[in-house]
Formats: sequence, structure tokens, C-alpha cells
Amino acid sequence: MALSEIEKKILQRLQSNLPLTHRPFLDIANELDLDEDLVIEKIKAMVEGKYVRRLAPIINTQAVGNSATLAAMQVPDDRIEDVAEVINGYSGVSHNYLRKGKNRELPLNIWFTMSAPSQEELEGNIKEIEDRTGFDVRMLPTTKKYKIGVKFKIYRKG
Amino acid sequence: MTEDLDIKLIKYTQEGLPLTKTPYKDIADGLGMTEEEVIDRLKALLENGKIRRLAASIAHRKIGINSNAMTVWKVPSEKVDECGKIMAAFEEVTHCYERPTFPGWEYNVFTMIHGYTDEECENVIKSIKEKTGLDDYVMLYSEREFKKVGVRI
Repeated sequence: MALSEIEKKILQRLQSNLPLTHRPFLDIANELDLDEDLVIEKIKAMVEGKYVRRLAPIINTQAVGNSATLAAMQVPDDRIEDVAEVINGYSGVSHNYLRKGKNRELPLNIWFTMSAPSQEELEGNIKEIEDRTGFDVRMLPTTKKYKIGVKFKIYRKG
Repeated sequence: MTEDLDIKLIKYTQEGLPLTKTPYKDIADGLGMTEEEVIDRLKALLENGKIRRLAASIAHRKIGINSNAMTVWKVPSEKVDECGKIMAAFEEVTHCYERPTFPGWEYNVFTMIHGYTDEECENVIKSIKEKTGLDDYVMLYSEREFKKVGVRI
């Protein structure tokens, strides 16, 4: 919450690809009319302050041969904790949320994404979660992608 | 062989690039490659789509983007393409996918909407309704986050 205007400007720029050049931070500094050392120092501070999770290649799991799915479960309140813990135990789980319908009630309440090196392993893991928790898991893999961006509006010009 | 080097490069960098003046040179030194090889390989990985972006993953909650509405829509199959494109055009819609239906589950289009407030998300939903004419949807807000990490290999 305490980001300065300069930090917001840098963060906005960092959500797009880093230049693939000898001095990428110098290029960004020039684009933003800032100093290279300052840009690097601010990025380090934002990583340390956990505003930036990482500045790194963001992998397309499917393109590197992995299988992935969104999955949903209907779990009663008193079992949510332990079911969430079972799910979190799988390294291929990248997101795991308790969700509630706002304008309408929906029975499905635990939503997670899982990837695995193969479809077989993915389905095996899902089956294992069903066996370990005693609840059904609905797999909702992507059939068509219209957008995957995750670029946030942080710095608004003007 | 080529494949292995790509994987090696991704594994070496996926926790974070060196925050130095010459990050690609430093990666190259660490892997016994040349800076040019590292840059060319990253370029190729971006072009062939194995890497979506070489960019910052931000902790959106930490910067105040606190509202996250996964909104699911019931869209007639012949309208999925048209509606998907309209939804994807919104800046606040970060993900838009078609997914399968099954008995008891008829919501086939998923949009992830991020905003500073629930109101901001709901304004986007209102605009999507107006532009697409869709009316059957559910806003699923996250009540608890059990896990959120980037995908690694």
C-alpha cells in the first residue's frame, strides 16, 4: 500500500516483458526517465517487501508438456481446513481458494488449479484427493482460452 | 539436447532473475553459457510460447487489489466466441476461459476479474452484461486463500 509513484511506475512497466538486452534495467530506466541504479534498487526493495513475488520467466505449463486443470469440490464447513491441507500438499497445486457465490449460492466451494507432468499423473492426483478426503473432485480443464494476462492497473498516467 | 538446455535455463531462473546490471550475463556465467545464448534462448522460448512472459508476478492483494471475483457465465454455445472476446477486452478481466459443463453445472465461461474494490469488479460485470446480453452468471468471491504460488517446473 505504501508504494511511491516511482515504484508504481516501475512495477507497471515490469508487468510487461523485460528487454532481452545486455542492460535491461538501463533500458527500462531510460524508458521511464529514471536512473539504472535506482531502478534496480527499487525492484530489490519491492521483491524484499513482497510486492513482487518474482521477476522471472512465467511458464506456460501446457507448452512445456504439462497437463493442467481447474478443479472444484463441495466440502462441508467442518471439513474445509483438512481438505484444503490435503490439496495444498501437492506441489502441482498453484492456487487454492475457498469461494462463495455472491448473487447466488453454489454448492462448489473449494476451487484449486493443479498441473502435473502428464494427464495420467494429473488424473491420478485428483483421484488420490478424492480417496483421501472422501469428496468428489470436478475437473474443469480449459477448452478454449480467450485471455490470460494478469497485468494489473497499478500506475495510471495523469 | 536443446530441450534440456531450455529446461535448465527455466529452472535456473524461475525463482527470479539476478537483480544486477547484466542479469543475462550473470545467468550465462552460472550455467556456463554465453550471454548471447541465454538471450537467444529466452527469445525463442517467448516466441514458441513455452514462456508466457518474462516479467514481474505481483502480489496484487499487497498493492491494494483486494477484490477477486471469479465470475462464471452460462453462454449459449454459438455465442461463446463472441462473448469470450468481449469479456477478454476488459482490462480488469485477467483470465477468460471456456470450460466443460456437466449435469448440475451449466456455467461454461469463466472470467477472473480483479479490482481494488468489489464495486469495481461489479461495474465490470455490469458492463459485460450490457455488452453481451448475458444474464445468467455467478460471482464467486474468494473468502480464503489457501495457496497461491506461481507455476514452476
